[in-house]
Amino acid sequence: MFFHIVLERNMQLHPRHFGRDLREKLVSKLMKDVEGTCSGRHGFVVAITGIENVGKGLIRDGTGFVTFPVKYQCVVFRPFKGEILEAVVTMVNKMGFFAEAGPVQIFVSNHLIPDDMEFQSGDMPNYTTSDGSVKIQKDSEVRLKIIGTRVDATEIFCIGTIKDDFLGVISDPATAS
Amino acid sequence: MSVEPFNRLVKLAARAFYDDITTKGDNQPKTGRSDNRGIAVVVLDALTRRQWVREEDLAKDLKLHSKQLRRTLRFFEEEKLVTRDHRKETAKGAKIYSAAVAATVDGLQNGREGDEKIKLHTHSYCCLDYAQIYDVVRYRLHRMKKKLKDELDNKNTVQEYICPNCGKRYTALDALRLISPDDEYFHCESCNGELVAESDKLAAQEMGDGDDNARRRRREKLKDMLQKMEEQLKPLMEQLNRVKDLPVPEFGSLQAWELRANAAGRAGNGDSTANDPSKSSQGLGYGGTPMPFLGETKVEVAFSGVEEKADIKSENANSPMKVLPPWMIKQGMNLTKEQRGEVKQELKMEGTSSPAELSDDKKTTGKDDVKNLQDEYVKAYYAALLQRQREQEEAEKGQQERSNTNISNGVNGTSSERQVGVKSKRDDDEGDDDVEWEEAPPAGNTGESYKVNDLNVQADASGDDDDDIDWEEG
Ligand SMILES: [Zn+2]
Repeated sequence: MFFHIVLERNMQLHPRHFGRDLREKLVSKLMKDVEGTCSGRHGFVVAITGIENVGKGLIRDGTGFVTFPVKYQCVVFRPFKGEILEAVVTMVNKMGFFAEAGPVQIFVSNHLIPDDMEFQSGDMPNYTTSDGSVKIQKDSEVRLKIIGTRVDATEIFCIGTIKDDFLGVISDPATAS
Repeated sequence: MSVEPFNRLVKLAARAFYDDITTKGDNQPKTGRSDNRGIAVVVLDALTRRQWVREEDLAKDLKLHSKQLRRTLRFFEEEKLVTRDHRKETAKGAKIYSAAVAATVDGLQNGREGDEKIKLHTHSYCCLDYAQIYDVVRYRLHRMKKKLKDELDNKNTVQEYICPNCGKRYTALDALRLISPDDEYFHCESCNGELVAESDKLAAQEMGDGDDNARRRRREKLKDMLQKMEEQLKPLMEQLNRVKDLPVPEFGSLQAWELRANAAGRAGNGDSTANDPSKSSQGLGYGGTPMPFLGETKVEVAFSGVEEKADIKSENANSPMKVLPPWMIKQGMNLTKEQRGEVKQELKMEGTSSPAELSDDKKTTGKDDVKNLQDEYVKAYYAALLQRQREQEEAEKGQQERSNTNISNGVNGTSSERQVGVKSKRDDDEGDDDVEWEEAPPAGNTGESYKVNDLNVQADASGDDDDDIDWEEG
């Protein structure tokens, strides 16, 4: 789920940036530092949308670096148990398949794949229904439901299921091209 | 078209799901005496015999306290089985409803006249919402089954993996760390052994673990529950299937229903001398209070009328009515007999004779005083009525064709004369059927006298119809 929230971060800036465009330098550094990172608490920071305020800088003794407390608005993505996501399959193996929904990695174990889908090994390992009409392989797009999340300080990993109504392949790369 | 299968559905659902529902005020002590389990079923059953009903009336009929009834109804409203409507009413507004009830059942009019001076009051009405009930029951069954099955299938559970070498356990959440670049299995972090999914292992090898035993017991219990559910709810599911392709009875909003019922009532008054049988049996059966019977709405529409109005009607009969030429008479028109150019005498005779018969009828059923019996009677009665109506429609078609061809002859009298002739001829042959004979050709709105016979004669009726057509052709 996406949220638009305000976060705060202490930015250290090298003295060489002290000049007219100090603020721009600060913001671009913030973007580089923060976008794409993940915190267990807020989820993945997708994009910074604005700066709320930049506090007074504090010069560090000895180094000349200055620390600015920066409040910024950003869009974060935090997966939740029970959430339905659309994801791209990145790897298929005998144990199930891995998929990505933006920055989030999701594993769907084979017992949460519908029973009528069988694993087929080969160059392009896949799960296929007996009549061959539905196939899950690398780059397939699937809709899945998150049934568990593992949230570490800097990492979120999910496990999902496609064994439910309206879940499963939503587009097949083989037929799409 | 029939509401009966849906009513059966409601009754089954009531017994399956609402059997032990208690609706109690929070302040009431939960003593044995105030235990009102089963009320929900009673209320639902009562509603299957009604259309829109004022809640006070329902409470009176069921001999329930109106507060208790309202609590139950509110519960059913939340359960989406019942639609309710509340409105402030003057005496006049109340009368609209009464008239509507009168039109669907009849009677009541007299009783209501007296209420003229009710002050503005909020009245609540309720009605079963069959379409929604069908969906709600299906959804409920679906959820029950899904919940049990999901638990059984270990759906939405995190898969666990075990290393057969060192016994280290992992979950699917560790998957990212366990994949190996060389093959398609997960590998143990410490010994690089190939991991196996725990459920497979459980099947393969007996674990003395207490935890696992508990899990197995739980599985068995779930399976048992699922099986029991399938078994016990089978009649309900079968009924759902039966109802699946039937058109759902719709009464519309309270206002719409009233309008419709009133209009139908007015139309029905045209010919009604006696809807007495239904009235008397129903009235007695439920302690003298009239009920809107669901029966066949269509039938009620065509035949219902109010006793009182019937009287007015026969008075009116004295003043000459315009006779419609036969080519103007179409199927579905509600015409009086005079308009169809029939003999007034006949009408009057019916008017006087049939109520006598009917009141006999009423007494006999009334004495029994067995509600079931009357229910049966009314059901059979409506069934017979419906069948009769269908036959009649056919006969009517026949008549129409005939009258169209007869236009050149110019006289509508001919047809009725012929009828009379035939009638008397038939009289000689089979005395029992004569009433039907005289009624069948004039199509549309028939006198009611035959209805009483109808129950007994029903079997013959279809046979007669064929004769009827034969005769018309010849
Ligand atoms: Zn190991």
